[in-house]
Amino acid sequence: MEALKEYFHIAVRNIKTRSLRSWLTIFGIVIGVFLIISLLSLSEGLKATINEQLQALGGEMVMVMPGGDEDIFSSMMFGGAQLEREDIEAIEKVSGVDTVLGYSFTGTTGRYEDEAKQIAIAGMDPWKESLEILGIFQGWDVAEGRWPVKDNEVVIGQVVAYDVFSREIKPGSEIIIKGRKFIITGILKSLGSRQDDSIVYMAMESYQDVTGEKRGTAAYAMVKLEEGADENIVAEDIEDTLSKTRKRRFGSDEEDFSVITSEKMGDIAGNILGIIQLVIFLFASVAIVVGGIGITNSMFTSVRERTREIGVMKAIGAKNSAVLIIFLFEAGIIGFIGGIGGTLLGAILAKGIELYGQAHPVFYFTASITPGLIIFGLVFSFFVGCLSGFIPARSAAKLKPVEALRRFE
Amino acid sequence: MTSEPVIKLENVWKIYQLGKVELAALRGVSLDINRGDFVTIMGPSGSGKSTLLNMIGSLDFPSKGKVFLKGKDISLMSENQLSQLRGKTIGFVFQEFNLLPNLDVLENITLPMVFQGLSLEKRKARAEELALSLGLKERILHQPAELSGGERQRVAIARAFANNPEVVIADEPTGNLDSITGKKVMEILTDFHKKEGKTVVVVTHDPNIAGYSEKIVNIKDGQITVNHQQAAEVLWRH
Ligand SMILES: Nc1ncnc2c1ncn2[C@@H]1O[C@H](COP(=O)(O)OP(=O)(O)O)[C@@H](O)[C@H]1O
Ligand SMILES: [Mg+2]
Repeated sequence: MEALKEYFHIAVRNIKTRSLRSWLTIFGIVIGVFLIISLLSLSEGLKATINEQLQALGGEMVMVMPGGDEDIFSSMMFGGAQLEREDIEAIEKVSGVDTVLGYSFTGTTGRYEDEAKQIAIAGMDPWKESLEILGIFQGWDVAEGRWPVKDNEVVIGQVVAYDVFSREIKPGSEIIIKGRKFIITGILKSLGSRQDDSIVYMAMESYQDVTGEKRGTAAYAMVKLEEGADENIVAEDIEDTLSKTRKRRFGSDEEDFSVITSEKMGDIAGNILGIIQLVIFLFASVAIVVGGIGITNSMFTSVRERTREIGVMKAIGAKNSAVLIIFLFEAGIIGFIGGIGGTLLGAILAKGIELYGQAHPVFYFTASITPGLIIFGLVFSFFVGCLSGFIPARSAAKLKPVEALRRFE
Repeated sequence: MTSEPVIKLENVWKIYQLGKVELAALRGVSLDINRGDFVTIMGPSGSGKSTLLNMIGSLDFPSKGKVFLKGKDISLMSENQLSQLRGKTIGFVFQEFNLLPNLDVLENITLPMVFQGLSLEKRKARAEELALSLGLKERILHQPAELSGGERQRVAIARAFANNPEVVIADEPTGNLDSITGKKVMEILTDFHKKEGKTVVVVTHDPNIAGYSEKIVNIKDGQITVNHQQAAEVLWRH
């Protein structure tokens, strides 16, 4: 054990005299560990964010949205074909369906007291029932003011009320959207996701007046089920019914809509997250392999340059294992130093994303940088270093003392 | 002195393969090194002195013949066993000093004890004692590059003495030193022999040392030509 400490010490001394150029080899390790650490510290936060969004969607709700299963996310982001009035009426007739709420969503400019800002607006149809249902089933509530009753009345989320405009919005104030005046009757309690808190909620008709979208359509439908209805069965029935109405209308049976239960939503989100993680992981692996080869190379150089020293050590009684360990330590420490760099950069990136998310509503995120993660990053890179240094270290250990001593460099 | 030789060479050959040419650097050398001997090896350059010294120091294996270190045939030992025994029994002093450049003086002296697994306190005490007795006290935290040649060779000698070995082997230890410094180095080696009764084997061209020596081995073309005290024995063997 005590000898190990001494071998470590020798390795440290050797590292201190390395050339600057030989340090470039750790760059791959820095990048690889950086990717892994930021991936691991953010993916927990990403999962939590997605779950939060799904929670907001709720258990007894089924979502109907345009676009096939494959590109749900692109239609969620960029909007797709609308659901027509006929579609919505057909869904209402499916057994097990209690109410169908139409929901559309877009970004626009809002003006409050001579200040114009980018805001998000959502239209809901039917207006009052939507609010009631969301109140009962999703726990929506006003923190200040009251629920709207008229079509020119709106409620706003916490972020709109307190963060978007330089002056706080009080219930009873006016907000002007596309030249139309709306009365803000209430400010909602936080809905649990920053994104949902950043929206002005209004009647669908008002929304369509503002945006110019066609009457009776909606981007999504939120379907509230009757009590005791099976989520999956109703979802299937809705799918069948919609296929029929659409086939009648367009004459094709291409499925350009998706019916999504909260369960399926979770799966899809999980899959996408998985793919992102896999891609990042692959990049990280490539970087680490490249870094590892770099370490192997520079260790071979090191062994060559110190052949004579190795000969001396063996002459004065070093066992093969002593030489092996000294060089393994050297490689491990190089990896470790790369790991410190990568872990530090990864933690900085993750924290940076978290801070950015706190400042920008639609991108809410938490990063979890645990001591365990940091230790993992460092131990891992030490291990990668040792592994990369193994072959050069073994070649050093196998040198014959006389031959090593005879070599002049 | 009736005990067995510390090191015994029996009809040792060393043949180097240089491409297609074979070069016999040692041709059937037999030699006993007894406890307390002071042996000088002399001979022209390229005659095989260093090769012979490598055999005496168990740094290399003979192509033919046998080498015994403390009665044990080294060809029957594992590499690790041999390293350990060599580290404990033999101290080496080289012409080129061969200090580890990244370690300071004290660490260089300590190294053979590290490989023998001595505890930190023992290592430190012994290294400081050696540094003191060889006049290196002020130098213990210096790097080898900061020392003069004579100082470096004294560090190398301290390192060779570290494990209190029975034998110290020195290959032209004054070859890279001026004559005054070289004389001091030789004094250290003769003192080691005189005062501690240890065995010293040295390759040198210095006639004064040869004069001090009880046993002179002359080598030419890989063969011992004159072995002052053993001539009779060698003849008798033939
Ligand atoms: N590792 C080796 N490979 C090939 N030839 C060697 C090797 N070591 C020594 N020799 C040759 O063996 C001969 C004796 O060398 P050496 O023992 O170093 O002589 P000395 O020390 O007396 O000058 C020389 O001709 C030298 O070139
Ligand atoms: Mg020589």
